[in-house]
Amino acid sequence: MAATEQPIVLPGDAIDPSLIPTHKKQPLRLGPGLRHIPPSYIVPTVAGQLVTDQKKNSMWIEYNSTRYIPSANDLVIGQVQRSATDLYYVNLSPYTSNAMLPHLAFEGATKKTRPQLAAGALVYARVTLANRHMDAELECVSATTGKAEGLGPLVGGMAFDVSLGLARRLLMARSREAGGVEVLELLGAEGLAFETAVGRNGRVWVSSDSAKTIVLVGRALRETDEGDLGVEKQRKLVKKLIRGMR
Amino acid sequence: MAATAPSSAAIAIPGQLLGPASKFQPGPGTHIHESNLYSSLLGLVHVTQPVKAPGPVKRLNKITPAPAPAELPTISVSRSAVSDKRETLPEVGNTVLCRVIRITPRQAVVAILICGETVLDAEWQGLIRVQDVRATEKDRVKIYESFRPGDIVRAEVISLGDQANYYLSTSRNELGVIMATSEAGNTMFPVNWKEYRDPETGFSEPRKVAKPY
Repeated sequence: MAATEQPIVLPGDAIDPSLIPTHKKQPLRLGPGLRHIPPSYIVPTVAGQLVTDQKKNSMWIEYNSTRYIPSANDLVIGQVQRSATDLYYVNLSPYTSNAMLPHLAFEGATKKTRPQLAAGALVYARVTLANRHMDAELECVSATTGKAEGLGPLVGGMAFDVSLGLARRLLMARSREAGGVEVLELLGAEGLAFETAVGRNGRVWVSSDSAKTIVLVGRALRETDEGDLGVEKQRKLVKKLIRGMR
Repeated sequence: MAATAPSSAAIAIPGQLLGPASKFQPGPGTHIHESNLYSSLLGLVHVTQPVKAPGPVKRLNKITPAPAPAELPTISVSRSAVSDKRETLPEVGNTVLCRVIRITPRQAVVAILICGETVLDAEWQGLIRVQDVRATEKDRVKIYESFRPGDIVRAEVISLGDQANYYLSTSRNELGVIMATSEAGNTMFPVNWKEYRDPETGFSEPRKVAKPY
């Protein structure tokens, strides 16, 4: 990785104009972490690595943080705090206001047949409405198809907290090449049977028949996160953990 | 004790007897109890003589009714020296200007600043419910696309409400957002009934726009 190509920037830094991608037809698109002040001033607002994509003519900043700010179409894992007349109050991150999940936003839910979620239950939901003036709103069903597509209550298992950067890399389509995280695939390849759900708000839910597996996966995630391990080190970590288990 | 002949310099305290209802017409700041006029406020007493309407020439054999109420002098009590200055409060049907404080999916909380043409002494809290934002398609209104915190809204009072809030409505064309600031911080101008545009950045933001007079 050439240092000049993907520099680390601090908020307010001037960006080298040679790094800004150009394209004949598409306008430049700015992703998270960058702010455009007309007419031509682009300034980072967070500390992180500046990433550019020539093909899509876009640039953004990859940064890590622990405070989740809801944005639309994110998949999140929330914990039900309490139930009101026709919605659930779901907590996405500690010490923030609750997001709202309507009772009818589940697959096949009508006024007569509602899901019964107790306080403390985990749900895998998508953020429908998020802006800085209002509390976030969630749904557990796809608005277009009407099917759950993996969303809904998460039964059993355990949720672990990870940093937002690791959650984002786990959710990438090609997490090994693009995100550099392979630990879950490696653990699966070693024969462990478990299922996971990753929430963009920094929570990973792991479920398995054996409690030992759940703890092992959780530990692997935490050590990858805290040690900021690359793919090679993840392999070694997985081998060490499997050896310790057997 | 009661003043026998109220003069314009007399001060009345609440509950003070001002005169009989047969001699005086009650004005603002007074109330009637058992055919007597009592003061409701602490203030100066004013007596305004009625405008004498030119009546027909008195005829000896015509039965005329007792003097009409408009012919009695009006007695009023007011706090300040100006006799007709009272605290205006929003009434049902008034058009008010208010600032949006907070939005939730079901209502917008506003602070009522101006009632009619008068700037109010105190800011009263009002509520614009989601079903009162528009006249058509009331169930598909999204508050986030109608108002934002900080907007100035022209609304109509539909109910005096409860202890905490007045209830307001913007369901006519002339009611809605009259002034809005964009996310970038610039004042926006209206484009059509549902959009404001920032002149500097060119971005549009959705609002329920009031039709300009």
